[in-house]
Amino acid sequence: MSIYPQAHSYGQAAYPAPGYPQPGPPTYSYQQSTAPPPSTYYVDPHSFRRDYAARLAQLTINSRPIIQSLSMVAQEYSRWAEIVVQCLEAHIRRVPPYMKLPSFYLLDAISKNVYDPYARHFAPFVVPLFLETYQQVDQTTRSKMEEMLLTWRTGAPSGKELFGFITQIAIERGVWGGDRGAADISKAQVLSELEFTLSQKERALQANTWDHEARKHVEVLQQLRSLVEAGVSQDELRQILSQLRSLSQSTAPPTTSSQPQVSYPQPSSTYQYPSQPVYPARTSFVPPAVQHSESINSSYHYQSTDQPKSEPLDLSALLSTSVSSGPSTSTSAAPPSNIAGLFSALLKAGIVSATGTPVGDSSSAKAEGSTPQPSDEPSENEREASRSYRRAILAETIKLTNADITKKRPAIVRFMYERLSVQCKQCGVRFSDDVMGRKDMESHLDMHFRQNRKANQNLGRGHSRSWFVALEDWVHDTSTDYKGKGRADGVRPLNAKASALAEAANREAELRAQFVIVPPGDEAKTISCPICKEILKSEFLEDDEEWVWKNAVKKDDRIFHATCHSEALTSVQSLAVRLRNETTGRSRSGTPEGISSRASPPKETASLRTSLSPTAESKRAALKRKAENDDPSFHMTATFDNDGTPPMKRLALEA
Amino acid sequence: MQNDSKEWVLDAETEYRFELDPGASLAIKLVHGQAEVFGAELAEGKSYLFGSECKAAIFTWQGCTLQITGHASTEYVSDETPMAAYANLHIAFEQMRVRALRVAHGSPNSDDDPNANAEPPRVLVLGPDNSGKTTICKILINYTVRAGQNWSPILINVDPSEGGWAVPGAIAAASVQSPLPTASPANPLGSAATSAPTALSSNALVPLSYWYGHADIKRNPLLLDRLIRNLGENVRDKCDGDPEAYTSGLIVDTPSSFASGPTSGASTDSRHTLIKACVEAFKINVILVVGHEKLNVEMQRLYGSRLTVLKIPKSGGVVELDLPYRQRVHKYQLHTYMYGQKIEQPPGISSAILGGEAVTDVVLSPSSSIINFNDLTIYRIGAESMAPSSALPIGAARTVSEMQPVLIDPASSGSGLLNAVLAFIAPFNPDETERYDEEILDLNVIGFLVITNIDIPNRKMTILSPNQGSFVGKTAIIGSFEWEE
Repeated sequence: MSIYPQAHSYGQAAYPAPGYPQPGPPTYSYQQSTAPPPSTYYVDPHSFRRDYAARLAQLTINSRPIIQSLSMVAQEYSRWAEIVVQCLEAHIRRVPPYMKLPSFYLLDAISKNVYDPYARHFAPFVVPLFLETYQQVDQTTRSKMEEMLLTWRTGAPSGKELFGFITQIAIERGVWGGDRGAADISKAQVLSELEFTLSQKERALQANTWDHEARKHVEVLQQLRSLVEAGVSQDELRQILSQLRSLSQSTAPPTTSSQPQVSYPQPSSTYQYPSQPVYPARTSFVPPAVQHSESINSSYHYQSTDQPKSEPLDLSALLSTSVSSGPSTSTSAAPPSNIAGLFSALLKAGIVSATGTPVGDSSSAKAEGSTPQPSDEPSENEREASRSYRRAILAETIKLTNADITKKRPAIVRFMYERLSVQCKQCGVRFSDDVMGRKDMESHLDMHFRQNRKANQNLGRGHSRSWFVALEDWVHDTSTDYKGKGRADGVRPLNAKASALAEAANREAELRAQFVIVPPGDEAKTISCPICKEILKSEFLEDDEEWVWKNAVKKDDRIFHATCHSEALTSVQSLAVRLRNETTGRSRSGTPEGISSRASPPKETASLRTSLSPTAESKRAALKRKAENDDPSFHMTATFDNDGTPPMKRLALEA
Repeated sequence: MQNDSKEWVLDAETEYRFELDPGASLAIKLVHGQAEVFGAELAEGKSYLFGSECKAAIFTWQGCTLQITGHASTEYVSDETPMAAYANLHIAFEQMRVRALRVAHGSPNSDDDPNANAEPPRVLVLGPDNSGKTTICKILINYTVRAGQNWSPILINVDPSEGGWAVPGAIAAASVQSPLPTASPANPLGSAATSAPTALSSNALVPLSYWYGHADIKRNPLLLDRLIRNLGENVRDKCDGDPEAYTSGLIVDTPSSFASGPTSGASTDSRHTLIKACVEAFKINVILVVGHEKLNVEMQRLYGSRLTVLKIPKSGGVVELDLPYRQRVHKYQLHTYMYGQKIEQPPGISSAILGGEAVTDVVLSPSSSIINFNDLTIYRIGAESMAPSSALPIGAARTVSEMQPVLIDPASSGSGLLNAVLAFIAPFNPDETERYDEEILDLNVIGFLVITNIDIPNRKMTILSPNQGSFVGKTAIIGSFEWEE
């Protein structure tokens, strides 16, 4: 499964969509006798507490699976919310500072996913807990905590403060000092919020690298940041802050609850890879840009309808001029301050130009964003896109003659650059600006993302040159397309060999996980695999409370080792292939055992090979061998004996 | 030595050419516009590192500004390039691919030219020394993968002195899906897969390689002939099973000795035999002759009736390469195979990318292990030094034929194993009945080893291998290449 779908689903869970999952009534869990793990089923709160605390103890690193599973358990046992909350609080207080952030992520995930009842359980102590932790951790963790804090402002399903207005204010005051209503706004707070908004925009930009509007926003915000860092007056700070807030908050007001997660970062990217949130987890390719411009737009509307006083510095209006050439832009107030002067200078310099996609009013933008592509349309578009390329190529009148090749002016620029107007900023690879190109670009960026993540994970570990693949794998490997283009079969392995090995390992693990339940009364009996003659090991499965034979499969009332059985099946199949090839007249016998040693249809065309050899003797010898080999029965014995398969295997297969 | 960076502004269709001295490195950043290095486009704002005596050119179709940091021994801008001709070639080949694809899909022939060839381009590039054959192959491959049509052409290198993705002495083929970067002559065609994650699939290529073992094709032309045909057979099998590879076509880079030499006598025969082997093995339908009038005429006469023979212009930027340079490149290649690439960044450059990858991701650690003499079986193909058959006295027969595998005893003092480069080959057929005398000649290469020490009294030898693995019961072939770190 690819990383994206997972990240996506997690993101959705954390940032509730309209169909916000309310935790089921407590009685539900009693009926879930068949529920999968981790729903080990607790009857009394004490064992639950013990177990949950033990599970929490595993949360020592920022691991999404652990956070996810702990949050799922919390959801399932929401009737024991108090226990979960107490365990988590104790855990956060107990662990050393470097382990606190993952625990806060868990708190955040639980509160957002299972808002009721958890948010109100956390609310009473979240202020001191947050602030105490904030004092203890290092600067990087602090900025992560600030980022999380900002998502709490609209973390509730209604788009309101996750733990309530009072709590939110208290934490923010503790973190940045000052008072929201009072005159003092610290530079740190503004910078922190600026960073937050900037990171949102940057993610949108990463998702959509050719989105010029987004880039301009990022540039403006960066300019703003350097200005704030250089130092500005209280008044200006307050203006910037309120603009930033309206920019962020307007994305999730109750009125637009149909799309409450508009410009919030997908939390998964933060939780999962906190060290490099460069590539955002995206839901789909087209929406980010549209959502993004929509958020700008709606914030603008918010401003124009609700302007309490003439804002001297109208950031959102300024930003919206770069996306919108709509009628309402004219209302932006003339900026008197020097920051605003900078903006107008930027505007004049063309950094924030008024060109770009005209979006119109927010309702039309929304319509645009929410209209899903009919599912069959992209493929039709794709076909059309490549058809048009082919037509254009064939329309060129060029022949493979010296005159044509050397005299003509090539149309290369049109094919290489103009048709492919979108470029990957990382490696310079180009894509066309159509449905197919966007899809390719998306998977290309996914590839970079995976690669970067892998590189970071492998940091400090040495690399080495791989062995080349076996002939068999080279000839039959058609999955070496790992540049993340085109074909839509999800994650691609980095190289053919690795994929073959991984595949083999997976298969092996799957087989080994198979088991057969020991029939009641037979627990004491020993049975052996008819293929390898070894005794099957029995084991007691705690979860199912049953005795089972591991790595076992039942076929025709007999019990085999799953691995032996599968191996036997494969050799029957390759034998069939072999025989089929034999009858078509091409000797394809004998597999050179490749390094991957996976069972594959045999190749190595001995007779063809040798015929290339100029020496006549070897040719004759080969023909002689071929004649010998053409006897299928000879083959069968040869194969089995050479596999080192015990004769019993054949008997088992015949049975 | 100047370290400050300079800006070069290039007009449309000109190129910046540079040559580096040993040890020097250069960082090139595209500041503005569009630029490509041998057909691979540069991303704007990234510093690309070049080193190991790299001689290359940055071409621009539409004009660009480059920022160059570091010191090049030669650098200039040229407005006379054959790029237009190469681009025309690419478009003509694209037409062939599109037609082949249409036939493969069974679509109706709506084309203006119903008689057009529906075969994908299978191109053999011939040319004398220093004519830029490899560069042309690279440009054509890069344009193909950049077309945005998901082509995956197969690039084949039959020049044993070049080595391609392997080490010198080998010939190889690989399917290419993303542009081949240029950073150093050590891996001119992208690099073979490593355990490191790569941003470009061209840095994780999966080659199929055979071991010839010598730089000179005259050393054992019979063996090379056979290896070319082996390679061709497997490439055909791959294309049979993969319509995408089939329609994308293939490009074959050849040694210069295919093109030059006396026009009569035994060596002409051998090079014509090898050209014929290539044409047959890869079902060549286009021969490109780079800047060699006589060879063009020769090829026209031999193949003109069956396939397209085309003379194409040679770039004025190609550099005359002398023998010591080529030997240094061989060392770079072997070093890169084992240790990856390391190019010092010029002062003032901090985050350059090397061949499309982060600098830290291209450093590799090989493994050194001590094994018993008996663990690894080592063969030499043919006698160590062999006069051509024609030079033998009339009536005399060879004691050892060119194709005969000769077992080497590491304990004998004249084994020549110390510092020798060995090709570690795929295992023999496990089925005894399928074995044949010269099977070893038809086995592909799994990797390359170097014997770094021999301890005759204790019957042990030290082997440097690209990664950890067991050699017990395995087989390797020695050639005439040696390498010392």
